[in-house]
Amino acid sequence: MAKIVEEKIETKVSYNLTKRLYQYIKPYKTSLIIGIILVLAISAMELLKPMLIGSAIDDYIEKYDKIYGICDNSDLYFKGHYLTVTNIEDCDRFATIVLYQDEYYFFDDLDHNSSIMIHDSDINDFSYDDTLYYKQYSSIRLSSDDLKILRNDDIRGIRVIAVIYVIVLIANAFCNFLQTYVLQKMGQNIIYNIRQQLFDHVNSLPLRFFDTHPIGQVVTRITNDVEALNEMYSRILIRLFQSAVKIIGLVIVMLSIDLKMALYCFIMVPFIGLLTYIFKNISRRVSRVIRTRISILNTFLSENISGMRLIQIFTNEQRKYEEFKDKNTKLFKANLYRLLVNASFRPIIYFIAQIGLAIVLYNGAKDVIGGYLTIGTLYIFTNYISNLYEPIQDMAEQFSTLQNAYASSEKIFRLLDETNDIVEKTDPVILDNIEGNIEFKHVWFAYENDDYVLKDVSFTIEKGKKVAFVGATGAGKTSILSLIGRYYDIQKGQILVDGHDIKDLSIKQLRKAIGMVLQDVFVFNGTIYDNITLLDDISKEKVIESAKFTNADHFIEKLPNKYEEVMSERGSTLSMGQRQLLSFARTLAHDPKILVMDEATANIDSETELLIQDALEKMMTNKTTIMVAHRLSTIQHADKIIVMHKGRIVEMGNHQELLALNGMYKKLYDLQLYA
Amino acid sequence: MKKIFLFKYINKYKWTYILGLLALLAVDYLNLYIPVILANITDGLSINNIDIKQLITYIIYLLSFSLCIALGRVLWRLLIFGSARRVEYEVTNAMFAKLETLSCNYFNTHKTGDLMANFTNDIEALRNAIGPAIVSSFDSIVMTIMVLYKMMVFVDLKLTLLCLIPMSIIAIGGYYFGEEFEKRFANKQNAFAKVSDYVQETISSSRVVKAFVQEDKQDIAFGKINEYNKQQNLKVVKLMATIMPLLEMVIGISYVVTIIYGGYLTIVHKISLGKFVAFNSYISMLVWPMIALGDAITSFTQGLAAISRLDNIFNQESEIQDRSNAIDLKIEGNIKVSNLSFKYQDHLPEVLSNINFELKKGETLAIIGHTGDGKSTLVNLLLHLYNVDDGHIYFDDHDINDIKLDCLRSSISYVPQDSYLFSDSIKNNIAFGKDNVDMDEIENVCKLACVHDNIIDFPEGYDTIVGERGVTLSGGQKQRCAIARALLKQSPILILDDALSAVDTDTESNILNNLQRTQKQTLIMIAHRISTVKRADHIMVLDEGRIVEYGDFDSLIQLNGTFKKMFDKQQLEFQIAKE
Repeated sequence: MAKIVEEKIETKVSYNLTKRLYQYIKPYKTSLIIGIILVLAISAMELLKPMLIGSAIDDYIEKYDKIYGICDNSDLYFKGHYLTVTNIEDCDRFATIVLYQDEYYFFDDLDHNSSIMIHDSDINDFSYDDTLYYKQYSSIRLSSDDLKILRNDDIRGIRVIAVIYVIVLIANAFCNFLQTYVLQKMGQNIIYNIRQQLFDHVNSLPLRFFDTHPIGQVVTRITNDVEALNEMYSRILIRLFQSAVKIIGLVIVMLSIDLKMALYCFIMVPFIGLLTYIFKNISRRVSRVIRTRISILNTFLSENISGMRLIQIFTNEQRKYEEFKDKNTKLFKANLYRLLVNASFRPIIYFIAQIGLAIVLYNGAKDVIGGYLTIGTLYIFTNYISNLYEPIQDMAEQFSTLQNAYASSEKIFRLLDETNDIVEKTDPVILDNIEGNIEFKHVWFAYENDDYVLKDVSFTIEKGKKVAFVGATGAGKTSILSLIGRYYDIQKGQILVDGHDIKDLSIKQLRKAIGMVLQDVFVFNGTIYDNITLLDDISKEKVIESAKFTNADHFIEKLPNKYEEVMSERGSTLSMGQRQLLSFARTLAHDPKILVMDEATANIDSETELLIQDALEKMMTNKTTIMVAHRLSTIQHADKIIVMHKGRIVEMGNHQELLALNGMYKKLYDLQLYA
Repeated sequence: MKKIFLFKYINKYKWTYILGLLALLAVDYLNLYIPVILANITDGLSINNIDIKQLITYIIYLLSFSLCIALGRVLWRLLIFGSARRVEYEVTNAMFAKLETLSCNYFNTHKTGDLMANFTNDIEALRNAIGPAIVSSFDSIVMTIMVLYKMMVFVDLKLTLLCLIPMSIIAIGGYYFGEEFEKRFANKQNAFAKVSDYVQETISSSRVVKAFVQEDKQDIAFGKINEYNKQQNLKVVKLMATIMPLLEMVIGISYVVTIIYGGYLTIVHKISLGKFVAFNSYISMLVWPMIALGDAITSFTQGLAAISRLDNIFNQESEIQDRSNAIDLKIEGNIKVSNLSFKYQDHLPEVLSNINFELKKGETLAIIGHTGDGKSTLVNLLLHLYNVDDGHIYFDDHDINDIKLDCLRSSISYVPQDSYLFSDSIKNNIAFGKDNVDMDEIENVCKLACVHDNIIDFPEGYDTIVGERGVTLSGGQKQRCAIARALLKQSPILILDDALSAVDTDTESNILNNLQRTQKQTLIMIAHRISTVKRADHIMVLDEGRIVEYGDFDSLIQLNGTFKKMFDKQQLEFQIAKE
């Protein structure tokens, strides 16, 4: 039962997917319409091509059995007579050509009735003795040169057809170029839009999202999965349409030429349709599995390439290799399964198509023998039948690609549907200036469910004051820092900045006012300068000033290109401490009103740390500062020290007060001192 | 001498390939008889000498040939595409294994994004070249030859030659366009790599992005890269949009030649109508091989480019390798470093100069110094992540270069500065370097690293998935997990590279006590707090890559130099704090 529900959900999703995928085409309707018109034109020309050849056969090549009138003067002079085909009513003697046992014979000087008789008679009415006889009439055998003269009109006729063919060719090529270009451009534009939308969206998602989603997976969505849609928009959709038009056009033309033959051609269509349907379903399932496995493999790769150093140090290469191989094997098996499906599908369709051809040939040939059908028409039909199955087969292939794209789009939309639960109010309060008063009122916070990290936390920080959080790891200090910038929303209580609930404030303004010195320093690919300004417009002077302030310029000046030194991946050439200094410079350059530091000084050696303390001291004036640090020495100057334990505030006060309290702070302090 | 890596794999499947190609050949051959059957029927009808019985015979021929063709097609697809998939699979495995042997230097200079592109795009291009492209090129050449033969012998030599003139343009054009295509395609791939890099970076740095409210600006910056990618794609598209119709036109011209000259030949009775019809279908049989040839050329050029990139990886010799005479050594933990100097690259300044020290088994060395003074570099050298270019490192009197890497590294437990964890369960992260670890062992080391209590507090306990790079753990928890991971190795040497920085002093002192009590390892730790280094047997003070002071705690205090100054500063802080 459960399975049925699942299926239902899927079809519903599919419908929505199609609708959503269509949304992206809307702005490019004109391109699409032009594309469709061109496709129609191309399809018409494709139909025209075999018709032209068919007409060359029926109207000229096979038109040897004309009745020629013998007249006084014409362009055609053959064996002592002037012949004409145009004004035979005016003539009273006639001539005609007969094909007998693969040779052409010319009956000359006939009266009207006998010429018609010879023209319409059956092969068995002729007799052969040195040359061909019809009753009393004898004929002469025609050589190639004779035929060249006699059939000059037909030769001219096929030249005309050739010229038309060339015109069709050129027009076709031009339309093809235009169609491909217009639609590919549309596809590229759509891909651009989706990718941009996806990037913008992901970029707007809250931290909670990044906590729970592997980087590699998200990267795959924005890069490869979007790329898979490209194919669909720029090629598959229009080809599906093209195939449909071809099929409909062919069906109409075939029906109009010969109803019975057309019906013979259609006999196999239901089988091809059914197989296509089955294939489509299998293909969709396999595509999904493959995409997921590729994603898993890529996630594994990106993580392990980044952590390769560690793998080597732990001589863990073999095990990681086994793990990789295992994941790769799963992907490989899925790929093989898809190969098996694909490899058998086309040949099966081919064979069915050949059965169709056999049916048409058999019945058509029977009709030709019976005289109900011309050879030219049979040629057209044998040609059309493969032309008919071709788009049906194409459609099947396109469906398989489409399934790929659908599988990808499902993932893309799921990502786009990730809601940002941290949303700004529609008309947020815009403060002239954030001063830096912070208040927590009975704040309860959990990252997940009821697993509270902060329990009923209340405190106030007046602007310009320095507050330090102290406590064992996991006491909830770091969480408090994240909450001030509204990176997570709290479950109960209120957080106020300058008297306003932060949920009423503009998130941008709030975060801009907060300078975060983060635990993990991220170094971007780019110059040192870029790494300090990020993408903001900050003057070179200010950058250097900030770097000097935080003593970062000390190491920057030693780099070969100084501020223009390009950082390789994640600043791997910098030491941890240097990265920390860089991040200080980055924070200071952005001029925050509130400084938030999370164990930031822990990786710096004491001497540098003192210098930084000194710099921060200067920076802290008139700025609200909130910090988490382990060294009591670095927090003793704080105006307020808040001691946290298991998510609750256990002690609060300044250094002296807390020591006098002789509680947890005193214990921590003693430990530090005598360790 | 290049590209050898690939031949190894192709060679492995050469019989499958040969069998597949034979099946393909058979299919092509049988395919030629389909028009012949059709021509026989048409001719028979045209000169009225065919009866129903004969017709049925022809139809049976047609169907049995078709069946063989269909089976043959399934067969060659499975054989050739299957082999290509197998090669892809094996090359992917081999590449990962190869990367595992490459040194830190390599990963410092090669971006993860680029390496990822090698894995995804390049290997796919390779597979296309050794799968579909081999089929297309083989098929097109064989088909062309066979069809041409049929055309010449069965129909007319002159007509065939005339039809070939336009067809030959395809080959010439293919070459020219192939080169241009390769260029544009490479640009397109590069643009895609840029997109990939940027996305990777942005997502990895989401915390910074949000903290500095860079979202909108990043969206714009990404827009530019996105646009560039689009433009590069369009350049490829434009070329493709030109080539394909041109190709079709050229093929069409062959039809025109057939209509004019072939039609003429039929009219003047040089060839039969049936042959004329057959000739038409022969030309249609040449269309696919010609297009396929174009595709194959493209795939081959892409494949070659990919192969040369992959080759760069496979031919990359890690500068750190076991020497031929490297020995298996059971390291006890004596370390001696003499006259060691080091720079990362020739043009960069020396990071370490003339380092000398000696450490007996079981002793503790604390290294302190400023940021960038070379502490981590020294550790990297001890782990043989880089080659020593000047000076020597000895373990138990053996030069580091003479010891097998495996032996060396399994003798050292290491806790990195960044406490990198993998997106796996805590249990597996801690059991990282070891097989068949039982739970007791893991819990034991976690207790030593003072992280056991934290872990069992998690709802999933030791099965908690830590998220990519351990994002779900706090900095201190990550560090302590990394310590537990190192302790589990139980090696004679333990290196803590500033591994207690995010741990509060209380816990730090507990961990150090635990280490001293239970472990008899040689311990090297990089630290900043005097309280941490106090108990070390030796303290090394580094300044700009030089040892400025070395000795035990008391002697350094007596020396009254840098260390004393640092000590005083920290003491002073405590003093102030005390008041």
